[in-house]
Amino acid sequence: MTTNLEPEGQQPPRSGLILLQCLVLGLFALFALRLWYLQIHRGEEFSRKARDNQLRREAIYAPRGLIRDREGRLVAVNEPAYALGLVREDVKDMQATLAQVSAWTGIPVQDLTQRVGHLRKRVKPFEPLILVQELPFELLARIEANTLFWPGLEIVVRPKRYYPQGPLLAHVLGYVAEVSEEELERDSTLAMGDLVGKNGMELILENRLRGAKGVQNLEVDATGRRLGEEVVTPPSAGENLTLSIDLALQERCFHLLDGQAGALLVMDPATGRLLAYVSQPAYDNNQFVLGLSSKQWAELRDDPLHPMQNRAIQSAYPPGSVFKLVVAGAGLHAGVSPKDTAYCNGAYAFGSRLFRCWKKEGHGTVDLLRGLVQSCDVFFYQLGDRLGVDRMSAFAKACGFGDLTGIDLPHEKPGLIPSREWKRKRLGEMWYPGENLNMAIGQGYNQVTPIQVARFVSALVNGGDLIKPSLTMNDDPVVQDHLQLTDKQRDLILEAMVETVQEGTARILQRRDAHIGGKTGTAQVVRLKASEAEKRRKLEEMEYWERDHAWIATFGQKEDRAYVVVCMVEHGGHGGSTAGPVVKAVYDYLFGEKAS
Amino acid sequence: MSPIDRRVLFHFNWSLLGLTFLLFAVGVLNLYSASAFRLEDGLSVNPFYQKQLVWGLMGMVGMAVFMVFDYRHLQVVAWPLFGVTLCLLLGTLFFGKVIYGARRWLDLGVMNFQASEMAKIAILLIGAKLLSRGQRPLDWGHLFMAVGVGMVPAGLIVLQPDLGSALSVLALLGGIILYRGVRWPVLRLMVILGPILAPLGWFFLHDYQKQRILTFLDPGADPRGAGYHVIQSQIAIGSGQVWGKGFLSGTQSQLRFLPEKHTDFAVAVFGEEWGFFGCIILLSIFCLFLYHLFLAAQDAKDRFGSFLAAGVFFYFFWQILINMGMVLGLMPVVGIPLPFISYGGSATLVNFCLIGLVMNVSMRRFVFKQA
Repeated sequence: MTTNLEPEGQQPPRSGLILLQCLVLGLFALFALRLWYLQIHRGEEFSRKARDNQLRREAIYAPRGLIRDREGRLVAVNEPAYALGLVREDVKDMQATLAQVSAWTGIPVQDLTQRVGHLRKRVKPFEPLILVQELPFELLARIEANTLFWPGLEIVVRPKRYYPQGPLLAHVLGYVAEVSEEELERDSTLAMGDLVGKNGMELILENRLRGAKGVQNLEVDATGRRLGEEVVTPPSAGENLTLSIDLALQERCFHLLDGQAGALLVMDPATGRLLAYVSQPAYDNNQFVLGLSSKQWAELRDDPLHPMQNRAIQSAYPPGSVFKLVVAGAGLHAGVSPKDTAYCNGAYAFGSRLFRCWKKEGHGTVDLLRGLVQSCDVFFYQLGDRLGVDRMSAFAKACGFGDLTGIDLPHEKPGLIPSREWKRKRLGEMWYPGENLNMAIGQGYNQVTPIQVARFVSALVNGGDLIKPSLTMNDDPVVQDHLQLTDKQRDLILEAMVETVQEGTARILQRRDAHIGGKTGTAQVVRLKASEAEKRRKLEEMEYWERDHAWIATFGQKEDRAYVVVCMVEHGGHGGSTAGPVVKAVYDYLFGEKAS
Repeated sequence: MSPIDRRVLFHFNWSLLGLTFLLFAVGVLNLYSASAFRLEDGLSVNPFYQKQLVWGLMGMVGMAVFMVFDYRHLQVVAWPLFGVTLCLLLGTLFFGKVIYGARRWLDLGVMNFQASEMAKIAILLIGAKLLSRGQRPLDWGHLFMAVGVGMVPAGLIVLQPDLGSALSVLALLGGIILYRGVRWPVLRLMVILGPILAPLGWFFLHDYQKQRILTFLDPGADPRGAGYHVIQSQIAIGSGQVWGKGFLSGTQSQLRFLPEKHTDFAVAVFGEEWGFFGCIILLSIFCLFLYHLFLAAQDAKDRFGSFLAAGVFFYFFWQILINMGMVLGLMPVVGIPLPFISYGGSATLVNFCLIGLVMNVSMRRFVFKQA
C-alpha cells in the first residue's frame, strides 16, 4: 500500500481558489437575477402567454331561426353539414396533409393548395379553415377515424339550411349561401364559411333569423387536441318565423301556373298577409346553399323565362283595364258624378286622332258603373280627358302605385305612374293631352306590379286601408295609407267588379255560393298599328313574345272569409281567357275543396 | 490499515450526503409532475419517476461501493479502466443502438449501457492520476499528456454524436488542470486561443447545432420551429411568477407545450410550479452542494484525492451552468441534463458514484489533518 504523500504544494494558491469561488457565486447570482427577470419582472406577461397557449376562443354557432307555414309545417330547417376543416397552426406537414385530403376526396391537390392560400388571411389563428364544404357520409366515417393521425384536420359540424319544398317557396324564402368577402368586411361577427341570407326573406330578415353566436374557451394541448370547453357567452338562437303562406294553397296555386311565366297572389285583405305567393317559373333554392356550380348558374341565367325573376314584385307591366278601377276612383274623388254618361259608338275622336274602343260596335250610352263592367274604353277616354294626368297620377300614387309596397322581400320594383315632371325629366318632352286617354285605359307609361294591385284591391275590400303586404304571422299588420274614397264610392267600384263577374269579362269566376268580384286587364306588348288593330289577330297566330300580358284582379267573400286573388300571366293574351281560369281554380279550391 | 476504521466513520461527510439526497428527492418529485400529462379524463403519469427511483437506488449502491475502499487504490486501476472504456466507446460506434439518429447505447440485453457515462469516471481517474505528478505549476509535457489522453475518448463521444457528453468530459479534465494551476503564459495562450478557435469550431458543428446557436441569438425568428424550446421554456418558468402554480398544476408542461420537460428542461417544470421562491431555494441547494464538493477538494489529504474531488466539482458545476443557462435562455440549447433533477438512468447512476468518490476522499482526509 503506497501512500503517495505530498506534504507540500498539493494545494493551489489561495488567490486562485477565491477567484473560483467568486466565479461560481457570480454565475449563481446571474441565474437568480435572470429568474427574477423572467418570473417577477415579466411574470405577468409570461403568465398571459401561458394562458394563450392552452386556451383558444371558439365561436358556438347559433341555430338559424326555423321557418314554418301558417299551419306549422316546416319550410326552412337546419340540418347538420359535415365539413373538413384545417387548423394551420396544428398541421405538421402541410403538403402531406393536403395530399392525403386529396386522396380521400378526389379533389386535386392544386385546388386544395389554392384554397388554403386564398383563405389563409381570412381565417383567424387557430380557427379551422374549411377545406371541403360538405363531406359525403361514407367519406365522413373514413376521415373521422383518421384525423388523429393528421394533426390539424378536423371534422367541423355546422348547421346547413335546407328547404324541404324547394322551388315552391324559393321566391318567398330566397336562400342562404356562404358569406362573401364584402359581407365579411362589413360585419365582424361573421366568419369565413358562415351562411348568410342572400335572397328573399332570408336576406331581408337576416338579422332576426341569424341569432348571435356564442363564445367558448377551448382548452387544448400542444397538438391541438381539445381537452374541454367552457362556454363564455351562450349562443342565442335566431327568431323562428311563421309564414302567412298556407302550404297546401301555395302548392295548388304554384302548379296552376306550371309552364307559364307569371305571378299569382292570394291575400287576406283585412291584414295584408299573403296566403299564397307564386312567381313562376321558380328555381330550387337548395342549390344555392352549398354553392352553385358554374353550369347550374349558367342554366338559370340563360333560361329565357328568367326563373330568378320574382315576378310578383319585380315584373312591372301596364295594368290594362285593371287600371280603370283606379281611374274610376280618381273620377269619383274629383267629383265626377256616377250618373254622368258617355256615348260609345266604337271610337272616340280626339283632335285629329281616333281612339278606338275594344268593342268595334260600341257600347251605346254608358255611365261609370256600366263603363267599368263593360270596360268601355270610350267612357274612360272621356274621363281621362276630363281628369288630366295630374289628378290621375296623384290619385294612383295615393293608391300605392308607382312606389314600393315595403313587403319583406328584396329587389322590389316600384313600377311607374307617369306625370308631367317625370316625362319632362325622363324623355325631355311635354305631356301631350292625347296621352291622358291612353293612361286612362291603363296603357302607355303606366307600370304596376302584381303585389301593388293586390294591395289596392285589398284596400277596396277592407274599408279603404292600404296595408303593407306581409309574408309572416310574426308581425302585426301595418296600415300605410287610406284610400281617398268614401265608403259609397268604394261600394260602387266593388259593385262594378261583382257585375263584371256576373255579366262582364270575368264571367268565368261565377260561383253561386260566394260573392266574387273581378276586373281583367290586357297589357299590350307590341303597339298595334291602326291597320293591324282592325283585324285583331287570334292569340294562337301570334309569336309568344308578341302576345299581351294578361291581368286579373279579384276578391271573393264567403261567410266570414275574404280573399283577394291577383294573377298576372306574361304573354298570356287576354286577361279574362288566360288568367281567369287560373283564378277560378283558386276560388274553387278556397270555397269548394278546402271548405269541404 | 483496514479499509474502514472508526476515524473514517467519524469524518463521514454527512452534509454532502444530505444535500445529494435532498437534490435527488426534489428531482424525483419534480419528475413525477413533469411526466404527468393532462388528458380529457384527468392526469396520466408516465413511469419516469419510478425508473429514476430505481436508478437512484442503484446509484446509492454504487456510491457505497465507491466509499468502502481507500480511493488511492484507484490509481492502480486508472489505466486499465481507461483502456476498457476506449474499447467500449469504439464498440458503441460500430455496434451501438441507434436512437434518435445517434449511436450512443450498447445493448446489453437486459439494459442499454452508455459507455460515455463510464468514460466520465475513467477520465476523472486518469486525469487526477496524471496531473498529480510533476512540478507545479504544471509543465508543458504533463499538460499535453493530460489533454491528449482526454481528447481521445472525447473525440469518440463526439462521433456518436453526443457533443454534450464530450464537452462535460473535457470540462471535467479542464477543471482539474485549472484547479492544479497553470503557468501564466499557458493561461494567456488559452485566453487568446479560445476566441480564435471558437469560430473555427463552427465548421465542425452539425446543422442542427448551428441552428441552435442561431436560434439562441434570435429565438423569435422561428417560434414554432427551432425557437420553440427556448420560448416555451421561458413561458413556463416566467408564468410561475413569485410563488408558482403549485405541485402538479403547471399547465405548460402537462399540456405538452414544453418539450423535453422530463430531461433537459425539467427545471422549467420546477420553475413553473414552484415559482421564483422555489427556484432560489433550489439554486441555494446547488450552491451549497458545490461548496461542499469544493471543500472536499481543498481538504483532501493528497493531490490525487484533491484532484478527484475538484474534477467532480467542475463536472457538476459545468452541467448546472450549461443546463440552467439553456433553460433560462442565456445560452444556446445543448443537450446537457441538470444533475439529479433531469431524468437519465445512467447519468444518475454515475452522479451517485462520483459523489461516492468524493465522500471517499473526504472521509479519509484525517491522515493529513492529524499530521
